[in-house]
Amino acid sequence: MAYSRIVAAGLAAATLFATTAPTFAEDITIKLWSRADRSGPLRAGNVVEAAKTVNNMLAAADSDKQVVVELIETNARGFDADALDVLKAHSVGDTPDIIVAAHEWIGAFAEAGLAANLEDHISGNSDLYGDVIPQLWNSVKYKGDRYGIPQDSEVRMFFINNDMLRKAGKSEEFISGLSDAVNAGEFTMDDMCDLAAEVVASGAAELGLLHRPNVGPDFQMAMAAFGIDLYNDKEAKLQITKSGLLDYYTWLKSCVDKGAIPADMTTYSWDTVHAAFRGDKAFSKFHGIWNLGAQLEAFGIDPLDKDAYFRKITWINAPAGEKGGEPKNLSHPIVYVVGDTPNKDMAALLVALASQPVPNTKHAVGTNHTPINYGQAAMPDFIERGWGLVAGVPLLEYAEFMPNHPKIGQYNAITFQGVAAVETGEMSPAEAVDFVIEELETELGDDIIITD
Amino acid sequence: MRSSSTSRQISNAIFFLGPASLFLLALLVVPIIVDLVVSFTDMSQTLRVESFGTEQYRKIIRPDPDALLGFELRGSFYRALSLTGVYVFFTLLIFNLSFALVLALTTTAIPDRLGAFFRAVWLLPRMSPSVVYALLWLWVVDPTERGLLNQIVVNVFGEDPINMKLDHPMVLIVLANGFIGASIGMLILTSAIRSIPKHLFYAAGVDGAGPLSIVRHIVLPALRWPLSYITVFQSLALLVSFEYIFLIMGASRSTMTMAMLAYTKTLAPDIGSGQYAYGAALTLILIVIGVIAALLLWRLTNMKALLSHPKIEVH
Repeated sequence: MAYSRIVAAGLAAATLFATTAPTFAEDITIKLWSRADRSGPLRAGNVVEAAKTVNNMLAAADSDKQVVVELIETNARGFDADALDVLKAHSVGDTPDIIVAAHEWIGAFAEAGLAANLEDHISGNSDLYGDVIPQLWNSVKYKGDRYGIPQDSEVRMFFINNDMLRKAGKSEEFISGLSDAVNAGEFTMDDMCDLAAEVVASGAAELGLLHRPNVGPDFQMAMAAFGIDLYNDKEAKLQITKSGLLDYYTWLKSCVDKGAIPADMTTYSWDTVHAAFRGDKAFSKFHGIWNLGAQLEAFGIDPLDKDAYFRKITWINAPAGEKGGEPKNLSHPIVYVVGDTPNKDMAALLVALASQPVPNTKHAVGTNHTPINYGQAAMPDFIERGWGLVAGVPLLEYAEFMPNHPKIGQYNAITFQGVAAVETGEMSPAEAVDFVIEELETELGDDIIITD
Repeated sequence: MRSSSTSRQISNAIFFLGPASLFLLALLVVPIIVDLVVSFTDMSQTLRVESFGTEQYRKIIRPDPDALLGFELRGSFYRALSLTGVYVFFTLLIFNLSFALVLALTTTAIPDRLGAFFRAVWLLPRMSPSVVYALLWLWVVDPTERGLLNQIVVNVFGEDPINMKLDHPMVLIVLANGFIGASIGMLILTSAIRSIPKHLFYAAGVDGAGPLSIVRHIVLPALRWPLSYITVFQSLALLVSFEYIFLIMGASRSTMTMAMLAYTKTLAPDIGSGQYAYGAALTLILIVIGVIAALLLWRLTNMKALLSHPKIEVH
């Protein structure tokens, strides 16, 4: 009798416990698509950290939900290749929730239905986004709405080796006044090539001016210096002027003829380009601020010794094409895009947390990218280790962005063909202009406005 | 009621030909059909098909009432065609046929062991991983004095260093592909030479024929079919090959053959721009050219006679 009572009590207890046992916790899985990039590992890392913050909040609210970030790390060699891959994934329904992308692809992403419209999210979370540098929002706008959050930015410049200038007989006055001369419009693109040719001829350098050997954003800076405005805001179309293009290609040809730019520049590998400048063989390199870390290491300069670095290297904007013109600069922000998926609200919040000053500074200072919030410039870590970025801020004054048009990739690829043809001597500048204009007309059709 | 031998023949046919036919269908016929369909769409980076039409072909051909056939080819396409023609013709003629023949003749004329050694050496380019092979070529043609070629040019001939990639890119890719192409021809021709009955050589020797006469009258006639086969097979293979061109020259304009153009416009890592429909149109034209070339060469080399039933065999 006692047994049956004990058993009955036991059964009752068991059912009681069963009904109060914890229910199965629902995990929110956020898929994060990010290229494995040595120049920005924290782009993905900051989102993962943001998930931890959200999980702390959820735990404090006694919720059983957890946010899990699933990292899809691709090994595409560039942002363009990666963007094409994510478009392929989207076309079969595998849309990621967060994508780390180069900003100019926002147009293509929005057209494909991949990117979610973040206008409401941003305006509804002003406490999280209030300190973002306003010009950066221009880089994520497509047809007036914002489709991404800037993750970082950078500034591009011509790096000039001052030691070579000294060896070529230039005075300290000339060297220290160079940057101002460029900004005042007195030192032009032609002067730049003359200077490079002079330095090479004097024997102080083996190579003159090096630019990127493949398609990329940098060329827009040079084209802008010759008066080419790539984007027509009113009509939301790409544009090009034949005369500007001719001036640009003529300048390239004259640089090759003077010996300033090597004729086979477009067949170099990236390693050769970096090694040439960092190995004190090339006089000048047209690239971006993130090279700073590698240069400090290559030249054996202490990372905290700002003066030693600027004694050796000068940074200048892309000089104006003609005297009295304006120098030009290009900033190429990388952005977080939120996919148009059921998880987009949570994904957007993770992005908001990853864009706060502390995580963003960790990324910016470690990888030499400029910050997205004003307040970051006052952080101690920034002031101590980020002197390069502070030095880059004046250059940002002349910065433009690439247009967020879906066909900007094709536009750049075609104008680069002209660069390759002119430099290798395959075509004359006029022939190259005809060829490039024809290709642009054929491939871009209505999406481009071609003027004289 | 089929006899058991007929049904066995049928089942044998299915059993032995089945996998190959499936393979051919899935990996050859289906992609060609997909290519055909995609080339008439407007598919680009976003992989969405929004319209059907001939707009991709209008990027290649421009209707012009004054031109010869009512249309003219656009600049970059015309250039790609001519580069392809130059590349295929010279690689085939100089290396895949002529040099393979030279190699086969010389390696069979010397003692067997030595011949086998040289054939093995000539097979190395084909057996090396393509990236390694391309890298070695890049080191050979390095434009500074360190490149192997320039070491010879500067130190032996006393000339200035030459920059093959810049000044002679087509020569470079013909050489690079030719070294690989020669090996297959060499193997086929060697085995053909070996299968010539020995008594013919003895008879020729008795009649006082010198080595060149032997080559001309005995060896070459026996190589007629292998040479025809190599011509047809290798010219098609060269028409669509782009691997070594891409690895050595990248997306350089000076070596942009048809296959390279299609690859560059679509899938090439780093520079492909996702113009899938445009690439499909280019590829379709390449397929058509390939089919025409194959049929023409088939007719010209009279391959039909090789594959017909022997006239003296009786079943």
